[in-house]
Amino acid sequence: MGEVGPCHFASPCRYSNGQIVTLRTDHVIGGVAIALGILIIAISGELPVGSLSFPGAGLWPKLLAVLMIVLGLTLIAGAREGDAFAAIRWDDVTHALPVLALAAAAVAFYETLGFIISIGVMVFCLALLQKKPVLHAAVFGAGTSLATYVLFTMLLRSPLERGLFGF
Amino acid sequence: MSTFDSLMLGFEVAFQPAILWYAFLGCVVGTLVGVLPGIGPLAGISILLPVTYGLDATKAVIMLAGIYYGSQYGGSTTAILLRIPGEASSVMTCIDGYAMAQRGRAGAALCISAVGSFIAGTFGVLVLTLIAPPLAAFALRFGPPEYTALLVLGLVMLAYLSSTALTRTLLMALTGLMLGTIGIDTMTGHFRYSFGIAELGDGIGIVPVAVGLFGLGEILSTPAIAAITSAIAPKLRDLLPSRTEWREAAMPIARGSVLGFLVGLAPGSAHIISSFLSYAIEKRISKHPEQFGHGAVAGVAGPESANNAASTGAFVPMLALGLPTGPVTAVLMAALLIHGVPPGPTLVNDHPKVFWGFVASMYVGNLMLLALNLPLVGLFVNVLRIPYAYLYGLVIMFCIVGVYAVNNSVVDVWIMLAMGGLGYLMRKVGLDPAPLVLGLVISPIFEMSLRQSLIMSNGNWTIFFTRPIALVLILIAALLLGLALMSILRHRRDWRAKLAESAGES
Repeated sequence: MGEVGPCHFASPCRYSNGQIVTLRTDHVIGGVAIALGILIIAISGELPVGSLSFPGAGLWPKLLAVLMIVLGLTLIAGAREGDAFAAIRWDDVTHALPVLALAAAAVAFYETLGFIISIGVMVFCLALLQKKPVLHAAVFGAGTSLATYVLFTMLLRSPLERGLFGF
Repeated sequence: MSTFDSLMLGFEVAFQPAILWYAFLGCVVGTLVGVLPGIGPLAGISILLPVTYGLDATKAVIMLAGIYYGSQYGGSTTAILLRIPGEASSVMTCIDGYAMAQRGRAGAALCISAVGSFIAGTFGVLVLTLIAPPLAAFALRFGPPEYTALLVLGLVMLAYLSSTALTRTLLMALTGLMLGTIGIDTMTGHFRYSFGIAELGDGIGIVPVAVGLFGLGEILSTPAIAAITSAIAPKLRDLLPSRTEWREAAMPIARGSVLGFLVGLAPGSAHIISSFLSYAIEKRISKHPEQFGHGAVAGVAGPESANNAASTGAFVPMLALGLPTGPVTAVLMAALLIHGVPPGPTLVNDHPKVFWGFVASMYVGNLMLLALNLPLVGLFVNVLRIPYAYLYGLVIMFCIVGVYAVNNSVVDVWIMLAMGGLGYLMRKVGLDPAPLVLGLVISPIFEMSLRQSLIMSNGNWTIFFTRPIALVLILIAALLLGLALMSILRHRRDWRAKLAESAGES
């Protein structure tokens, strides 16, 4: 076949004889499945497989891992008709990453600062992320967290987290 | 006790004021969930599940089920008025429903959709009433080998009926099964994959995974939704269809009800598949197929009836066999288990008030939804005027609150965030998260059944082929796998790809 030219996720690989190999989503999914299956087998070393007449704790996970590897190989083998990985659009990642980061920050401080402050600030920042005016976002953030606190704590009797400040 | 007497017992339970209130609450929330794009019944049920901890099992499951079938009603409202499917199962309704609205027949489309949903839902409950108890009685003969075979068939059927590739669906189901192994092995006491984290000793909960994949994952994939500044809100007097429209709707409603219920019995996203199938069938048998896509009444009546009947049909395996056929019934099953009511063959006899109260409440719930969705359509549509910039923050807040409330554990919320990121990536590469959730729920049952079967047979795998019920189930699974493999090997488009293509053309 000849040597494979330089390639990365954004462009196909070109062999020296001109044949093009495009990285497809099934290649990536299959590769991840195989890697996951191998990892599970590797970290399951201490779990006893047992015997067929008395299966141990390790039999089921290892069986699943083997099946994952088989399916991963099947996906890779049949990948030539799938979508190209480079064709995936990532422009919404500028929305997804900040949202995830803000949610993570709220969770990190949830038990320390309590529901009202951590969630109120999160909702405020999320509104700012969508380019809402600062005052509107602040009122919405504070109002939402307070109203939800009252709803859950008093009406639904499902208390929400209080932080170090007692609320 | 006869079925009629049992049903009367159920109505005694269902007509208690507190039960009526929670059924109503579930229907309202379900309609709202159906109206709002980006929030499906699964996210709604998962988020509200912790709120039900203070309730008894009957109230909890009635409210949560109300959200499920209520969302099927609500999804059609935005599909018809705005061409926005509030629910995945309302995608087909967008086509002809919106076309009817553009011709000034929005009210007729809404009425046909609501009445068709009511008839289909009631039909589904009737059949559920008749077949669930005998099915449960039959399932009492199931032992571990039969349950193992049934679960294998369930997964294969899920993969076969899925619109995504068989291999990908099976891979997602395997991932879910694998996630279900985290925690203590109940047979030997070994800790598996908990990495020293105490909270993982009990395993990964369904709620963080479901809310993360479907709730947060959807939000991460949706940077914005265009603001709705105005929405058509038909007046009450404009809601009635003409006699011709009723005539055109009658048979599609009947066909959709039967088709939807049968599809609902099978694993998979039945409410979505049933609406696609119904549309394709109605178009195929119509004397005027050219009308489809331009306001054909059958294009609204059939799919809307089918998705409601399917959501009812999905309860049959859940209640009678303890087998969830999709992520929503999986979460409902988890709700029953949390309240100490294990669904399955013994539910009818051991908890008759829960079972029959639930069935009876569905008759009542369908009536409530008919009353809610027609006169109050304008109110529900105005919910869409809430700017997405504020709405998505609310949804994330409820996701965090709901998941934390399950075990008062921040580890669960971190799992939800991780699943949200995973859900976002899965959508990017075209993977369906539903089989993963199903796999997670059935993993403990599957493993236990398999290991018990091997212990029973002293390690002899032929136990699955020597017991008749297990053999039949395995053979059906093998047949489906064979059919799928044949189409892959011949590189032919099978009926699922053709159906998806046909729906895309419309």
